[in-house]
Amino acid sequence: MIDYEYKIPADLHEVFTLLKEYGEKATLVAGGTDVMVKIRNTRKAPEVLISLRRLEDLRYIRKNGGYRIGGLTTHRMLELSNLVRTELSALHDAASQVGSVQVRNVATLGGNICNAAPSADTAAPLLVLDAAVVLEGPGGRRRVPIAEFFKGTYRTVKEPDEVLIEFDIPEKMGAFGSAYWKHSRRKAMELPLIGIAVSVKLSEANEIEDSRIALTVAAPTPIRAYLAEDFLRGKPFTDQVLKEAGEIASSSECCTLRTSLRCEAWYREDMIKIFVPRMAKLAAERIKSR
Amino acid sequence: MSEYLYVGKSTPRTIETDKVTGRAVYISDLRRPGMLFGKILYSRYAHAKIKGIDTSKAEKLQGVRAVLTGRDIPEVRVGFLKDQTVLKKDVVRQFRDEVAAVAATSPEIAEEALGLIEVEYEELPAVFDPIEAMKEDAPLVHEIDARGRPVRSNILPLPWKFSAGDIEQGRKDSAYIAKDNVRTTWVNQCCMGTSGCVAEFDMNNNLTLYSQTNVPFLGKQRIVEYLRNIGLKGSRVRVVNPIVGGSFGTKLDTDIYEFIAVQLALRTRKPVKILFTREEEFRALPPRQPAIFEIEQGCDKEGKLTFRKVEAILDNGAYTSWGATTPSVMMMPISSLYRVPNVSFNATCVYTNNIYCQAMRGYGNPQATFAVETSMDSLAEEAGIDPAELRLINCNKPGELTPMRLKITTCPLDRCIKTVQEKINWKEKRGKRNGRGIGMASLIHVAGGARVYKSDGHGIMVKVDQNGNVDVLESGTDQGQGSPTVISQMVAEALGFRPEDVSITLGDTALCLWDAGTHASRHTFMAGNAAIRACDKAKKQILEMAVEHMPEIVEYKLKRKERKDPDFQMPDLDYSLISEPDKLDIKDRYIFPKNQPEHPYFRMEVSEVLTRGLHVGTGESKVVVGEAFYDPPTEMLDREMKGNYSCTYAFGTTAVEVEVDRETGEVKILNLFAAHDVGRAMNPTLVKGQIYGAAYMGVGYGLTEQLQLRNGRVMNPNFRDYKMLTAKDVVPVVPLVIEEPDADGPFGAKGIGEPGLVPTAPAIANAIYDAIGVRITDLPITAEKVLVALKKKAGEQS
Repeated sequence: MIDYEYKIPADLHEVFTLLKEYGEKATLVAGGTDVMVKIRNTRKAPEVLISLRRLEDLRYIRKNGGYRIGGLTTHRMLELSNLVRTELSALHDAASQVGSVQVRNVATLGGNICNAAPSADTAAPLLVLDAAVVLEGPGGRRRVPIAEFFKGTYRTVKEPDEVLIEFDIPEKMGAFGSAYWKHSRRKAMELPLIGIAVSVKLSEANEIEDSRIALTVAAPTPIRAYLAEDFLRGKPFTDQVLKEAGEIASSSECCTLRTSLRCEAWYREDMIKIFVPRMAKLAAERIKSR
Repeated sequence: MSEYLYVGKSTPRTIETDKVTGRAVYISDLRRPGMLFGKILYSRYAHAKIKGIDTSKAEKLQGVRAVLTGRDIPEVRVGFLKDQTVLKKDVVRQFRDEVAAVAATSPEIAEEALGLIEVEYEELPAVFDPIEAMKEDAPLVHEIDARGRPVRSNILPLPWKFSAGDIEQGRKDSAYIAKDNVRTTWVNQCCMGTSGCVAEFDMNNNLTLYSQTNVPFLGKQRIVEYLRNIGLKGSRVRVVNPIVGGSFGTKLDTDIYEFIAVQLALRTRKPVKILFTREEEFRALPPRQPAIFEIEQGCDKEGKLTFRKVEAILDNGAYTSWGATTPSVMMMPISSLYRVPNVSFNATCVYTNNIYCQAMRGYGNPQATFAVETSMDSLAEEAGIDPAELRLINCNKPGELTPMRLKITTCPLDRCIKTVQEKINWKEKRGKRNGRGIGMASLIHVAGGARVYKSDGHGIMVKVDQNGNVDVLESGTDQGQGSPTVISQMVAEALGFRPEDVSITLGDTALCLWDAGTHASRHTFMAGNAAIRACDKAKKQILEMAVEHMPEIVEYKLKRKERKDPDFQMPDLDYSLISEPDKLDIKDRYIFPKNQPEHPYFRMEVSEVLTRGLHVGTGESKVVVGEAFYDPPTEMLDREMKGNYSCTYAFGTTAVEVEVDRETGEVKILNLFAAHDVGRAMNPTLVKGQIYGAAYMGVGYGLTEQLQLRNGRVMNPNFRDYKMLTAKDVVPVVPLVIEEPDADGPFGAKGIGEPGLVPTAPAIANAIYDAIGVRITDLPITAEKVLVALKKKAGEQS
């Protein structure tokens, strides 16, 4: 039978005390949309679940120079935020397409990232927005660039006694336009077959000053397509250039595409080729329409 | 249409308030005192010998009350071809084979006990492709048949061979011929409520089975037969429907889990509930029958169809349920959709080690219509005729006798085609090949019962109490389609009462008369025809009562008036106005003389008469009750598979506009118009509800839904990976209700439960062809298939 102890600490201090007490036996749970599903599917539970739901002060979206988003911010908060929609558009695209409204009401950004699924929708936008993950543990706080956060499928660099506090997005990313495409077979309750995020900053001469490309379901973890980014830098923003970037991003030099029951590798490859240009264009349009 | 007071109105559904407020008792809510929970252990192989089963650990688990295997119960064969047993003793032939079952005090304990059962298997060679399975050296799924004779082939002894006219002559008469290979796959019915039942014996071995079946009487008979075969000869069986959360065909057969619940209840002498999880619903419930078609048809220079030849192969799975008889319905569109003189249809059902199949909305018709309507567009292309035009040239007409000997009564198919043509702006939009396209497909379906058993009967009892409340004991079932509302409208209309006076009790074999089942879109048609006949009897009794008692009621009232009002002048009444039942009528709960409906004294509320008639005081008291058993004047299919098996047929046409993304292969439905011949709509809102629901189901069938089987195992047993469409995927469906009252239908009605699904997938496929010039003949039409076809076409051109 599935059985576990359930703790609801009132503040971070209590969380750390509990983590110290139970160590490896404990699992942190935020919205529960991954943890609880996994318990149900595997019919195995940790001995103790430590809920973070009372840490209300970790639910926020702030702009003060850079952008700071609390680890317990729900997808629904991101979806309804004007700031996120206009200035961190890719994150808005991703957050507003996770599960259903009911799921988004409880699922948290921190949870999505700590779960570290290859298909984590919000990972790709955070990658193209250069987010840093702020972790706090008994030894204090540390910052990890999101590109270094994922260690493998469902594995991260977060230590078991650490809590994800917030995401920091540098101020300069506000000048980028960004977009995320979740390619799926229906419009809700879906995992991406492939996810493509692009952020771009264009010069006055319509050249690509800087850009980031990130992919979900293209490797064991969400990844950046660095080679494609390097290719774009300084190039004119034309269909041909974008097409080539898509080809580079979809190549085996950037990703390790797999055939699974959900989708075949060739189709994932094709979709990266199609959506790197489409998302780059959407990102560029979004800068203009600000 | 204003001659009726209640039918034809969108009366709101009645019992649904209990459903939406959570009060309705579904099988998942049902609890009986002392009830135990049953769980089933399924096979770990697609084909294997069972070498041994050790249940000792499971039996020792606290809370476990019984563990059963095939060794613990009589080896009695069940099912349509008696090709399986309840618990498999020696061999498993599919992953869903039931190997053991547990009853325990909670579902969790039962589940845990399953994990403690040790089964030793020896894997056997298996076959998963029906074409492979037909080969001589293929592994045999069954070694012996129901009578114990050795079996030499995986081909079922159930040949479906239909032929009419002369195919070779038809071929000679053809100016154009089209040939297509078409394939459809497994889809799950996706009922909101998962399967389940509660079995309960009394101390005299009489069984009450709370079952979701939509064939309570045939289901009861199967259980009676089973109990008899396991040695319980005198047992009586009562089948009771709880509130049912959807059927779509799943409740047409008696499932193995029901027999298992019966066995567990018998062993423990306690009520036992089995309730499927969603995963079980996907893995262990028979889905829609997949089919492989080779279809060829021709037309002459004018576009008149000359012949149609169809060969079908059906993957039967490991056992036989109602999937194997879907060809009886497939032959309806194949022989009778559009006028075609020469027809040949052969279907071969083949055993494999895949999951076995059952009925689903449309019952073979969606598969066959996908083939026929895909081929119609291919042929139109060959002949250079507009596809809508080709359909109109060959349109079915009232009064015709089809090659299958179906007697077409009313038939507004041409109206359906022309209506959707106009709505979708056919002439303007067709043939652009610019990524946007339109397509259409039609259907024919049984709409006046379906004689698949020797009785296609349906019983109803109507009793009226002294308050004028009407209790209807209705032998059909409500799986969510809203029958109680429609039946209350029809009863109210026939009896002269109001729909709110009528309460419906259905799905109880102890209370209701016999019925062949709520399937084949037959409930409204059958219940309506039975209700009209039963209400005639009840109404006659009320009118006789009125003749008997109205004069004294009137006189009593007049006298009282006289007492109270000294100025009151006694009227001189003509009692001959109410002297015979034929001179009276009832409408809207009032009895009145036909010649003077507004008569100031003879117009009387029914309860006045009913109360007096029940409380006479002289030994002459009467109750009002009418019953009827309606069996329509239809025929069983004869040896040549011909016969008019339904009283009337429904037609319809769906037109779809799609936009196809040539880079991603994605198909977006921009418009969907569904014109359906319903005879007369009894409740327009419910009719539209059926069309909306069926059309969406058809979109899923066409574009996204498939059970993915790998070597016999269902790989996507959940809604994350089984792509049933969500509320966000809603497409703009416009139902168009075409009314042409049918003389045989109650108040002119035809059945409409299934038709909306049937033409949806081929209409989408035809629209995709119009948009991008590639024809996908393999369901579902995924983005990948579209892209592959586009690439292939580009390769051919370059």
